[in-house]
Amino acid sequence: MIRPVEGGPRLGTFDDMAPLDWEAVYRDNIASIYRLMYSKVGNQPDAEDLTSQVFLGALPHLRSGACGGEIHRYLLATARTVLAEHWRRRLGVQVTTLDEEMVQRGESTTDEARELDRSHQVHQLLARLPGNYRSILELRFLSGCSVRDAANRMGVSVGNAKVLQYRALRRAAELGREFA
Amino acid sequence: MDRRRRRVNRYVDALLRDQRPSGGVPDADDLGALTVAIDMVSARPQAGMPHPRFVERLEARLREQTQGEFRRAPELSRRLVLRAGGLAAAAAAAGVVTDRLVAEHAPAATREDLAVDGGQWHAIAAVDAVPVGRPLRFSTAAVEGVIVNHGSGFQALMAVCTHLGCTLQLDTERQRLGCPCGQAAFGLGGEVLVDLRTQMLRPLPRIPTRVRDGMIEVHVA
Repeated sequence: MIRPVEGGPRLGTFDDMAPLDWEAVYRDNIASIYRLMYSKVGNQPDAEDLTSQVFLGALPHLRSGACGGEIHRYLLATARTVLAEHWRRRLGVQVTTLDEEMVQRGESTTDEARELDRSHQVHQLLARLPGNYRSILELRFLSGCSVRDAANRMGVSVGNAKVLQYRALRRAAELGREFA
Repeated sequence: MDRRRRRVNRYVDALLRDQRPSGGVPDADDLGALTVAIDMVSARPQAGMPHPRFVERLEARLREQTQGEFRRAPELSRRLVLRAGGLAAAAAAAGVVTDRLVAEHAPAATREDLAVDGGQWHAIAAVDAVPVGRPLRFSTAAVEGVIVNHGSGFQALMAVCTHLGCTLQLDTERQRLGCPCGQAAFGLGGEVLVDLRTQMLRPLPRIPTRVRDGMIEVHVA
């Protein structure tokens, strides 16, 4: 039983939030939400649009204080919805998703350890591919070569390089599913 | 097959130029290939950092929508400015004259405890109101705090994240304090449990605590 102290300090609960420091919230979350979105769509214009939607969409909820301070988790939950809607409108199907469990835990895949982990996974996947599939993806994605440059380096025609790129991505997706 | 291949390759070309992909919808069987392409693009070093101009633009929109609630740090209340981390500088900037920090060197990071010159002992709660595993949140004019019963004694901590000063939330299940503004988390001893930033966070400052006449007291301004 808590005995309030007369004239003393105010007792409160953990839901009893101090006024929200919007700037702190924004500065603390903008990079993490942007990088999360980038990792799900792979390009700057879409990542910027989706990040804006997350913050603008979450704003009324954050203002009402109804989230009880679970700001990061709420932003992630909003990001999950925004991403799903993005794919529904763009392709009619979810290409990438935000894991529900991750949202519940309030984690994002953007901290440095996870970045390294993702880079490691990509390299592991590449290592499992046959030589020419691995080469085309390394040249295109890691070395930043155009299709023509990649074709020249591999000693194949441009048409051949395009076919290789397509088949390599499909094979990598199959391997990814097998090892998931 | 050619058309399917062209669609996937066009999508990949756009991603590699960091542009918004457009054009036809890839075949359902090719969605896995798109996912791999997105993973590979975003796994590149330095990929996915927000452009400073975008960060500024969105901040301006949010400030407009919150109509002044999205305040800059100097406009924050003194109590909110009084936060760990740059506590001494913040206190000085805010005109709080009574606080000094006692630093001790812990193996992982330096803890800065709160010591108040000219402060006074405030009774917070009866000892039986704070059982082990049930920390109690309290506020004074100067400090947002939490009292923890360690079994061997009571210790008050500042319930304010040492990163940006957000008030911490209790996770009773995991017996820790989590930051609602980010991903930092602190143990009930004030130690840093989760620090996902490159900058090392400081543990939560301890507040002088004692028991008198069955009441837990803290020494604050």
